Amino acid sequence: MSLILDAVITGILTGGVYALMASGLTLVFGVMDIINIAQGALVILGAYLSFVLQQQFHLDLFLGLVITLPAMFILGVIIYVLFIRPLKHDRTMLSILVTFAIALIIEGVLTIVFHTNTRQIQSPYVTQSFQIGDFYLSYIYVFGFLLSAVLLGALYLLLYRTKFGQGLRASMQNRTAAELIGINVDRVSAYTFGIGVALAAAGGMAFGATTAFVPGSHYDLISRLLAIIVFAGMGSLGGALIAAEAMLIVENVTAVVWSPVWSSTVFFVLLVAILILRPQGLLGKLEGRKQ
Amino acid sequence: MLLELRNVVAGYDGGDVLKGVNLPVLEGSITCIVGPNGAGKSTVLRAVSGLLRPRVGEILFEGRNIAGMSPRHVLELGIAQVPQNHSLFNDMTVRENVRLGAFLLNDHAQVNRALAYVEDLFPIVRERAHDKAGSLSGGQQRLVEFARCLMLNPKLILLDEPSMGLDPRTLKAVFDTISVMHASGRTILLVEQNVKTGLGAASHGVVMESGRVRLIGTSGEILHHPEIGRLYLGGALAGA
Repeated sequence: MSLILDAVITGILTGGVYALMASGLTLVFGVMDIINIAQGALVILGAYLSFVLQQQFHLDLFLGLVITLPAMFILGVIIYVLFIRPLKHDRTMLSILVTFAIALIIEGVLTIVFHTNTRQIQSPYVTQSFQIGDFYLSYIYVFGFLLSAVLLGALYLLLYRTKFGQGLRASMQNRTAAELIGINVDRVSAYTFGIGVALAAAGGMAFGATTAFVPGSHYDLISRLLAIIVFAGMGSLGGALIAAEAMLIVENVTAVVWSPVWSSTVFFVLLVAILILRPQGLLGKLEGRKQ
Repeated sequence: MLLELRNVVAGYDGGDVLKGVNLPVLEGSITCIVGPNGAGKSTVLRAVSGLLRPRVGEILFEGRNIAGMSPRHVLELGIAQVPQNHSLFNDMTVRENVRLGAFLLNDHAQVNRALAYVEDLFPIVRERAHDKAGSLSGGQQRLVEFARCLMLNPKLILLDEPSMGLDPRTLKAVFDTISVMHASGRTILLVEQNVKTGLGAASHGVVMESGRVRLIGTSGEILHHPEIGRLYLGGALAGA
């Protein structure tokens, strides 16, 4: 029983990090109808940046975010301007190809610089743990979860308590109407893409500290992130949080009570069941966004 | 003259929809554009509001060429558009939607004054303030859209088929409201499929066909033009 409880707690903590990584993906889809296949590669890039800052400059993992978050935000805006904005037709379909190409470029550059050796971010947070009752919890899981909670909370405040957030939510619901009330939808889209990539950086730090990674780790990661946002309902931030937690809890519990081999399979069976009952996903809407 | 289109050519990837449109809108008028499907009526409004950049021609607003300006810039100059399809943000409340009409303003007091003004003009904005916009009926949504477009006190209001999807009773209420907006000093450029209703409410009329203006006159002249019926039965205006 304690093993199951342990699996649930670990699932909740790591689920928060996955929610952070998936929130960038679903936010970008919600505003632009762009499926950013490069989100996984951007997470891995974020992990490598944190790795370098920690290894080369001995910078604290969380302090390093002061550098990586703005840097990745700027990278996101540049990617939007160079590769996404020019897509005028069939944006959703073309975005899959374009962002896959971006993922391959990132993977290629990381392979040249870091080779294919497996890395994991090292820090006292990673190796040290503390005890609560019968459970030992690694600091990195707890701090990673807290980081996710803080950033998702900040994202919520940005969306619901700021003028930019109003413009972003309006753009998500009706792009033409948003333009007609004076919202610069193109600028909102650029910043939203930047925010999505910055969230990938934060998620990458926590991911890289809890999981060993190589430049090609993004393939597995993006499939999991896509599964989360489909389960959640495309464009739903709240849904992404629930779906990420569900994925990690189900996988962890399955690994304990059955076998790690079946952990992903059980989640995907659950995903298919949800989609049969609610094709729009957990909190998604059947009606598409108006142009 | 408040607005004038001069030889405007504009369209989409499939080709030009407007093929040299010349169109005057007098200050203080309600000008109604009618014409068969595909005539380019809505495209005229999109070109004026900045949603569509004309390939050729000028769009003069108070003597200034606004062709190719962004929707934001056009709005700042005093032109607001209510598009054809319902344009409220369904997941936001009625009040949030209306306040968003003043998105360009940073002065809260000014926004609150504008809100109080439109709440007096459109009681539904106050009565349903906290309801989600998506829960309103089609006619109610139309009224809230009108309220939202008044938040910046525009000089010219562009209305794209406001009668679309409305029952006769609601239709009357919507057109009564258009008269109220006009009476409060706004010039209105209206596109309407419902010829009698549109021209009936307008002071001036414009008939478009195949991307060109075929007739311009007072609404009475247009309504009683002998060729107008033939146009709507599929024929072209003779000698236009």
